[in-house]
Amino acid sequence: MHVAACEIIAGSNTFEVSCVVTNADLEGFTRMFMTKKFSFTPYLFLAPALLIIAVFILYPTVAVVYYSFTDYNIVQPPVWVGLQNYQQLVQDPIFWKALTNSFLYLIVTPTLIFLSILLAIVVNRPLPGINVFRALYYVPVISGTIAVGIAWRWLFDYNGGLINGILIGVGILQQPVQWLAEPAFTLPIAMLLTIWIGLGYYMMVFLAGLQNIPEDLYDAAVIDGCNGWQKHWYVSFPGLRPQITFVAVISSLAAIEVFNEIFVTTGGLGGILNSGVTLVFYLWRQAFRLQHAGYASAIAIVLLVITLGFSIINIRLLERSEQEAS
Amino acid sequence: MTNAQTLTLARATHARRVRNQILENIVWYMILFLMAVITVLPFLWILLTSFKGPHDQIVSIPLQFIPNDPTVANYVRVWNQLPIGKFFLNSIFVGVTTTLLNVFITALAAYPLAKMKFRGRDAIFYLLLATFIIPAQLTYIPSFVLAVNVFKYYDTLLALVFPSLATVFNIFLLRQAFLSVPNDLLDAARMDGASEFRIWWQILLPIIRPTLATVAIFTFVNSWNDFLWPSLMLHTRDNMTLPVGLIALQGMFASDFRGVAAGVVMTVVPILIFFVALQRQFVRGLSGAVKG
Repeated sequence: MHVAACEIIAGSNTFEVSCVVTNADLEGFTRMFMTKKFSFTPYLFLAPALLIIAVFILYPTVAVVYYSFTDYNIVQPPVWVGLQNYQQLVQDPIFWKALTNSFLYLIVTPTLIFLSILLAIVVNRPLPGINVFRALYYVPVISGTIAVGIAWRWLFDYNGGLINGILIGVGILQQPVQWLAEPAFTLPIAMLLTIWIGLGYYMMVFLAGLQNIPEDLYDAAVIDGCNGWQKHWYVSFPGLRPQITFVAVISSLAAIEVFNEIFVTTGGLGGILNSGVTLVFYLWRQAFRLQHAGYASAIAIVLLVITLGFSIINIRLLERSEQEAS
Repeated sequence: MTNAQTLTLARATHARRVRNQILENIVWYMILFLMAVITVLPFLWILLTSFKGPHDQIVSIPLQFIPNDPTVANYVRVWNQLPIGKFFLNSIFVGVTTTLLNVFITALAAYPLAKMKFRGRDAIFYLLLATFIIPAQLTYIPSFVLAVNVFKYYDTLLALVFPSLATVFNIFLLRQAFLSVPNDLLDAARMDGASEFRIWWQILLPIIRPTLATVAIFTFVNSWNDFLWPSLMLHTRDNMTLPVGLIALQGMFASDFRGVAAGVVMTVVPILIFFVALQRQFVRGLSGAVKG
């Protein structure tokens, strides 16, 4: 830099710098420090948030990358082992099971989108008392996964469960079914819980979207000869595109990172024969039940790579929907 | 056709239309009711079970819904064996502190990102955007180590408050709200010699109050329902928040379904009351969160 002379006039929280700059390619510098007042103010506003994010998100992310190359049990200092954790991961059948289960869990996303749009269309009708129904559908969302999940687990109980009771009462079943002890049902029971809780929340998102669609689009569709459901197929679904993208992003990330539903429906055990173990559940078990923090960190890195991939896909989708909208 | 004939015809069509409308509405209400049953039935069942006395059947086919011998003994038993009141106070403390400080800190951060030009703004913005995709669970192992070795707040409520003081999602939501405030307003205030902090506090915050309320409610509900991190941090019974306490209750009362049911009811009812009181804000918040 060829700064010949500088003069700094300090204010309370601003200071002006006037400089004689001999080099013309310092334009950016000049713009920042000469024509405008340089001010600490924006940084002061940002400082608390950035500090928290640096300590609780950025540092841990870097640390977890390091831990994944170490043998670490949280108590003793980490010991560098290179790629050993990753090599072990590739040969670990439970890890592959967890990976498969996490991806299988993504089935909840299209299901939730479809069902909650249908529900939003139903509750969008101006019927008397509709607000009461909307509020009722929101009850599971508000109550929290753990409280709701405890109730959910009892529903599928062998002896006293509501599901067995109803199915036998109606005559579909002769004998009660061991829902919770059957590996094939572990994941579906947790997924149904996710759907049951998510339905009310995403319904509200889609309802807000529906109310933004101009009424005359529907009128035009009717003139073009659409009946009731065709109208929704040709107007509501395309009109809800921003909400669909939002819900797809949020619910698919939540599905890949699912933990609470698995924990509460399997009583913290992950289901018979690890039938309900997902990536985050396996991460949690390895790190905090088995004290294999280094190994768990390698699982965390796999999770990070997956969510990164997801985000790239999501950004593409967002860009595409923006292009089509414009 | 005579006028009279046209009139009768019109009346008949109208009557048919009204009849169809009523029929259609009945179908809609049936769908709505069915959905409501699916949503509420498990809760109702839990509620009824929580009042069942020792002679009422829990394990029975056909199912018994209504308790013959209603009692509050289950509530008393759970209340006496577990510090449910303490769980509540802890959840309220964490929820309120986190919400107030989080909204304050994220609103502070959102202001320059929306309304100021400064060096590194884009870099900071993209850095925040990038942290958005980092799964929270990934940070728990190092955060656990920090909690035990550095901050020494393991098994205290502070361990739940500090990491949730700034959320990128809230910064973005508030930034969006600040962007919609006209610049002239800020320039006028600056001309009058108002400091940036005063502009933020006295002009901007009141304008974006609806968004603030939305962000606050969501932060509170998230904090109230948070489970994984609190379950890692809280060890002593008296320090537990509600979700962590509920799992402890489920473990203690494993075979006592009436007790677990009473515990669930005690934890769910207050948050439902909170929701009913703020329902309008919730709905408005949701419509604002996703712009069409």
